[in-house]
Amino acid sequence: MDHLAHVSNQPNSQPQSQISHLALDIGGSLIKLVYFCRYDDNCRDDDELRSQNESLGSESDNSRPVLGGKLHFAKFETSKINDCLEFIHSMKLHLGGFHDCTAPSSDKIFIKATGGGAYKFADLFKEKLGVSLDKEDEMECLVTGANFLLKAVHQEAFTYLDGQKEFAQIDPNDLYPYLLVNIGSGVSMIKVDGDGKFERVSGTSLGGGTFWGLGRLLTKCKNFDELLELSHQGNNRVIDMLVGDIYGGTDYAKIGLSATTIASSFGKAISDNKGLVDYKPEDISRSLLRMISNNIGQISYLNALRFGLKRIFFAGFFIRGHAYTMDTISVAVNFWSKGEAEAMFLRHEGFLGALGAFMSYEKQCLDGLTVNKIPQRFPISVSSAGNKIYCSMNGKSNDNESIECTVYRT
Amino acid sequence: MAGLNGDPFLGIDDNIEKLQYNNNSKEVIDKEGLVVGIGEDSSNNKNNNQGGEKDMAGNSIHRSGSRPQLDLSKAEIQGNSEERDPTILLPNQTDDISHLALDIGGSLIKLVYFSRHEDQSVDDKRKKTVKERLGISNGNRRNFPILGGRLHFVKFETSKLNECLDFISSKQLHRGRIDSHHWNSEAPANENAVIKATGGGAYKFADLFKERLGVSIDKEDEMDCLVAGANFLLKAIRHEAFTHMEGHKEFVQIDHNDLFPYLLVNIGSGVSIIKVDGDGKFQRVSGTNVGGGTYWGLGRLLTKCNSFDELLELSQRGDNRTIDMLVGDIYGGMDYSKIGLSASTIASSFGKAISDKKELQDYRPEDISLSLLRMISYNIGQISYLNALRFGLKRIFFGGFFIRGHAYTMDTISFAVHFWSKGEAQAMFLRHEGFLGAVGAFMSYQKHGLDDLMVHHLVERFPMGAPYTGGKIHGPPLGDLNEKISWMEKFVLKGTEITAPVPMAPPGTTGLGGFEVPSSRGATLRSDASALNVGVLHLVPTLEVFPLLADPKMYEPNTIDLSDHKELEYWFTVLSEHLPDLVDKAVASEGGTDDAKRRGDAFARAFSAHLARLMEEPAAYGKLGLANLLELREECLREFQFLDAYRSIKQRENEASLAVLPDLLLELDHMDEETRLLTLIEGVLAANIFDWGSRACVDLYHKGTIIEIYRMSRNKMQRPWRVDDFDLFKERMLGSEGKKPRPHKRALLFVDNSGADIVLGMLPLARELLRCGTEVVLVANSLPALNDVTAMELPDIVAEAAKHCDILRRAAEAGGLLVDAMNNNTLDGSRGNSSSVPLMVVENGCGSPCIDLRQVSSELAAAAKHADLVILEGMGRALHTNFNARFKCEALKLAMVKNQRLAEKLIKGKIYDCVCRYEPAT
Repeated sequence: MDHLAHVSNQPNSQPQSQISHLALDIGGSLIKLVYFCRYDDNCRDDDELRSQNESLGSESDNSRPVLGGKLHFAKFETSKINDCLEFIHSMKLHLGGFHDCTAPSSDKIFIKATGGGAYKFADLFKEKLGVSLDKEDEMECLVTGANFLLKAVHQEAFTYLDGQKEFAQIDPNDLYPYLLVNIGSGVSMIKVDGDGKFERVSGTSLGGGTFWGLGRLLTKCKNFDELLELSHQGNNRVIDMLVGDIYGGTDYAKIGLSATTIASSFGKAISDNKGLVDYKPEDISRSLLRMISNNIGQISYLNALRFGLKRIFFAGFFIRGHAYTMDTISVAVNFWSKGEAEAMFLRHEGFLGALGAFMSYEKQCLDGLTVNKIPQRFPISVSSAGNKIYCSMNGKSNDNESIECTVYRT
Repeated sequence: MAGLNGDPFLGIDDNIEKLQYNNNSKEVIDKEGLVVGIGEDSSNNKNNNQGGEKDMAGNSIHRSGSRPQLDLSKAEIQGNSEERDPTILLPNQTDDISHLALDIGGSLIKLVYFSRHEDQSVDDKRKKTVKERLGISNGNRRNFPILGGRLHFVKFETSKLNECLDFISSKQLHRGRIDSHHWNSEAPANENAVIKATGGGAYKFADLFKERLGVSIDKEDEMDCLVAGANFLLKAIRHEAFTHMEGHKEFVQIDHNDLFPYLLVNIGSGVSIIKVDGDGKFQRVSGTNVGGGTYWGLGRLLTKCNSFDELLELSQRGDNRTIDMLVGDIYGGMDYSKIGLSASTIASSFGKAISDKKELQDYRPEDISLSLLRMISYNIGQISYLNALRFGLKRIFFGGFFIRGHAYTMDTISFAVHFWSKGEAQAMFLRHEGFLGAVGAFMSYQKHGLDDLMVHHLVERFPMGAPYTGGKIHGPPLGDLNEKISWMEKFVLKGTEITAPVPMAPPGTTGLGGFEVPSSRGATLRSDASALNVGVLHLVPTLEVFPLLADPKMYEPNTIDLSDHKELEYWFTVLSEHLPDLVDKAVASEGGTDDAKRRGDAFARAFSAHLARLMEEPAAYGKLGLANLLELREECLREFQFLDAYRSIKQRENEASLAVLPDLLLELDHMDEETRLLTLIEGVLAANIFDWGSRACVDLYHKGTIIEIYRMSRNKMQRPWRVDDFDLFKERMLGSEGKKPRPHKRALLFVDNSGADIVLGMLPLARELLRCGTEVVLVANSLPALNDVTAMELPDIVAEAAKHCDILRRAAEAGGLLVDAMNNNTLDGSRGNSSSVPLMVVENGCGSPCIDLRQVSSELAAAAKHADLVILEGMGRALHTNFNARFKCEALKLAMVKNQRLAEKLIKGKIYDCVCRYEPAT
């Protein structure tokens, strides 16, 4: 991730004093950051803010100090954690943690963090930044983040089928239950029944890490995005064994398999005549992507079916708003459910955990924050980060969009 | 009995000619303190060749396992004989073929073909009379919808289609012999021949078959075939299904009435998941494109492996932790216990390969292979479970060629199913995993009658090539015995190498996707031994379940379960040590010629190879009990045409015993009823000591005459015996307080050894029963096994005994046993004129020292109908098998335990302890 560009482009980064809160999700492949920056006091009209709150039916107490600002999103590869630490340090993000409320005298600073790395790198944060990581449960954060986004952010969820992106209107009162599928390095499948009410019902080890890991071994790609891009130009039929290949070009109509259905991913690679060098990286990437997306779609559907869930939200950094990925997942869900279940995607797909961790400040007694629901108005701060990630949808960045929000001091 | 005893006769290095009951008496004290007085002439030395000749001609055995299952003459190893599992060329296969069905998949072609095996219909008079007496109609066999024969299983790589075509062509499989006995008779020979086939290749290669073989392919639906095949195998083969958890394999007996519904997961190149509700009732509910083709395809790209098996074998030495991202990697070595994920759970397959620092060449192919294998197996297990859950199915059967009996694959799938279902659902595997489709296609031939086959009609045999090839014999075919032997000689050079153990994965390198390193047992499994052998399936429509079994479903013939590894080692040692003597004996029985010696060597090699194979992988041939092992040895002997290794020994002993029989009968007749009954039972137990399978007993033979040993032994039979129900039996026979009980209507006497055992032990007992008015049926082996008396030999023995005894003579006449000895008039008149109850002889349908009562001859089954007493005699039939069997009628089990280990294990006793177990009808 191009964090240096990110920093320099960051319009809110100048007044260091205004940086406040930071939460982290340190996964196996990527570190996701969510941090909050206040507006300049004069940046916003209180009336505007107030009317906005009213329009949302917010029950916010005006007597409490209100901080307008934006949530920013950033990510780093976990292997480059030092860059991340540097970034935090340069932005002084770590100073926006909170002090242990149980020991007010202590000047120990805590930063909320989730993901396996919160355990693994705790010492490193202490050493490099002098902050302690307050570990939040990963699943809890994912769910909290997803619930927040689905309820608070307008046009967060969308379907994607046959190249058509369509925003879904989610009635916050009719959100639950749903299946949340978080595709990171691995995949977690969580049945969500309400705020804080959820269960990890399944998962699979065939996830983003598999795509990227196998992809690296099979192609010479240098990064995930390059691999993903390659898949655009690929043709998986070169390498996958299709129903037609087995049936001599005909469908296996009796059980509803068309000739182009993939019978066996990489099944053609068993041929004696060709080695790895004989296959185009594009085709390999495409085949890999389809294999993994399809598999995730299928297992997700089967789990949705198990609990009678009609809505499946897919999130996590594997997707990256990549059209073909979403398409494949959608097709898989649609195919196996015979149209009964629907795959949906989240615009902030990669940041659920980090957001959830951020939300957990709220639960702390002191110095906590309340993030109020405010519809995101976008494009706002498109430039904030990640602008070179795919702009496959409507030419807009859908990644790392910052969210305008209001924070109340409790 | 024979062969069943622990310490087979190592003592004998002389050949049999030297072995005589001689006059030079000595007194010998054996370790039990028996005083053996010796000194009587066993005069009866006339050379009676008749029995032998008759044997050769008349082995009309139902269980026709006596001939080579696959004609292996001119077999040659094709191509580079250095490679593992080389193709074996079998140029001269001349089976009376045939029907062929094919399953042509994306990676492999599976063939199932049927070779008819005509029972030599022997017109043996004993049989005729038995049939008359027992009311078995002659047409019995012909009424049965199918003839006996053999079902063979063969596979080829699809890329080597030409090899397959050559094989079919050379064996003329495509010209299924059309005659009135066969189904498919509407098709005229050689014209418009049609072969049933399934799998995608049935479409793809149809033209090629037409062109090369001139046959049309009749395409059968793939799913139909899979289901039909699975249903057939699960119903027809007793131990077809097994579970495999953490390296431990356990066969599962499936109740046919409780088979459906189940989930069938066929893992070929891709994966089909089918819900099966009954015969022909099924639905393909799911599938996945991540299957065997993915493993092999990705594996080929990532490693330099040249074959699927090579890739699979590599995985055995792999450590997937170098390449998979584990929960511990993310959590800094900790578990994510809150959601039940241990540190060794794979979080992301190949997740570590994202590291910038390493390229493909920096990873070990072994690790890549294991990681791939885990990924795919686990995924299949998970998706299967989710589908089982959907339909509330508890049983999931996994088939298809991806599995190949590979331990880690099965463990991983099982783990996934177990993990996700929290133990509710069970993953099961099939021994014929790869052949479901082909069997199903075979089933689709009309009028073959296979649907009606029951499990007891099938006997699976493992021919001599099995240990070397793992069932992969193919290539064009074979001819005579001689060539088969030279094949064995050639192949044995390869054999040692092939069966040599493959290095194991170092311990601790295999965190199995979410579960810990498999138990040590699992680690001893070889990957290439993986291939569970698929034997040749013999269809023997005349076999039946013994009708007097109290609960055939619960019946387990083996008393000794060889899944206990120590037990296995013990018996393997016993059999191996026994082998050289057996070979000597066998060679001598065939005249000690050079040819016999070569055959003897070939036999020894073949049997040793079987033993080595089973030692490595006890379940390779299915569930293994001691009885199976002993039968395997007999099968091996027969495969090299040692039809009766003990022929002359048996004759000699019979003659010696018959010579002293009159004295014994005289002695018995002077006793009162009660003493006589006890003496008779003692006599059976005592005579059971004459056993060529037991080393302890063989030592005695050098030292005494038969009657001396018998008397001494009988005198030693001091009650109480270790298991002693004699009083119960006596009360049943003689009554108490003067009340005379009703005699038995018919008694079945399962006899054991030749010589003293039958002549001085069982015949006098039979005589006593006859005297009481009980019909007696002597049940003897169909085929020779060590020195066990056979049904072919018994009539002569009875006839000889009848010369000295009126009771036996009249009963034998009544039973039609004396047709040879008497003139033909008696035959007609015998039944009407004789006042005696009959004495009959039936064959038991097997050629083993033990007996599995689930598969007995139809004449035994018919004879059992009116029987109310079963007497099992000898270690093989009363102890090694059937010790725990329960019968609908009364049962008496008599044996002397001639093996220390068995005595300790079974009855907590010592060697030479006796068992007299009487069980009332249940």
